[in-house]
Amino acid sequence: MAFAWKAAGLTYNRYLAVASRVVRRSLKEEKRIAAERRGEMDLRFAKWQNGKQGEVKQLSTANEAAMAEHASGSSS
Amino acid sequence: MLSRAARPALRAGAAAAAARPAALNATNAATYATLREIEGRLKSIRNIEKITKTMKIVASTKLTRAQKAMTESRTYGQTSNTVFENAETKPLEGEGKKTLVVVCSSDKGLCGGIHSGMSRKTRRMLAEKPDLDLVILGEKCKAQLGRSNGKNIVLSFAGIGKDVPTFADAAAIADQITMLPTDYTSIQIIYNKFVNATSYDPVTVEAFSEEAIAASPNFAAFEIEDDTLSNLREYALSNALFWALAEGHACEQSARRNAMDNASKNAGDMINKYQILFNRTRQAVITGELVEIITGAAASEEG
Repeated sequence: MAFAWKAAGLTYNRYLAVASRVVRRSLKEEKRIAAERRGEMDLRFAKWQNGKQGEVKQLSTANEAAMAEHASGSSS
Repeated sequence: MLSRAARPALRAGAAAAAARPAALNATNAATYATLREIEGRLKSIRNIEKITKTMKIVASTKLTRAQKAMTESRTYGQTSNTVFENAETKPLEGEGKKTLVVVCSSDKGLCGGIHSGMSRKTRRMLAEKPDLDLVILGEKCKAQLGRSNGKNIVLSFAGIGKDVPTFADAAAIADQITMLPTDYTSIQIIYNKFVNATSYDPVTVEAFSEEAIAASPNFAAFEIEDDTLSNLREYALSNALFWALAEGHACEQSARRNAMDNASKNAGDMINKYQILFNRTRQAVITGELVEIITGAAASEEG
């Protein structure tokens, strides 16, 4: 069984996030606002090397970039 | 300047009874100064009490929400754990395989020793197994462990603990962890277990690797195809993370509430002490002035 989203480089969690975002956005206005708050994510992260903290980056953009890279890497 | 000015008042506060004769003996100018100092300190302590009281109320309201989120998230964690319990999954015992430790703290302090409790637990684990890799969620534990065990840290996350953690947070962290280049046989998540409103325990929860799941004795009962196995593992990891984050958040709020409650109590005690000292000093000054007037009057009558 092959998954289309797996071929696109998405992880299962990312796939879940996208799917749930779609569901949340299609809700009615008053429920949608409450529901969309549950999908918010505003984290920053940093990679460490040899005991030194690297650059602090936004997690969401970094995740997207990493998955895009993963996708192009697997397709080529 | 400020610390020097505050010192006599502090000393006086520490030994209120002993300070009384000293205040009487002191010259008038000095007594007025301490009176004003004590007043200033009283004011600042009152302000601190107001702040800690407000923070306590804020933490209390946040705590009810956090506890609700915790009970909800427990379902996620326990449901995903049921799978592994039924499959009798055990962590693989292998040499040369790395273990990843995820420490779930938060960004904010002023909540007693829950962050340092977790750092201590991590250090204990590091003492047993020095080649662990660390992923740290939250600034507090990052600052504590970054100083002592900076070499073990591979990732750190910030921005946790502003609000009740969402599943999106957990999923994004799980993604970043799965994308780490090293292959970990087991991932251990350290979080504060909520025992009751006043006690928490740093405990670990295990998230298994693909091989460990595949090698579990009862695994065949679930009829999982090989392709979906990695999905299950990713999902289980984010479930466990979500659970740990929510429970840690609830612990933090409850710890903050207790810390602020104690701080308000202490401030109240100090206010009482300083109020008594203030009144005594004021009376001493008045008595001193009266004595002076009477002696002056008596002297001028004689002359």
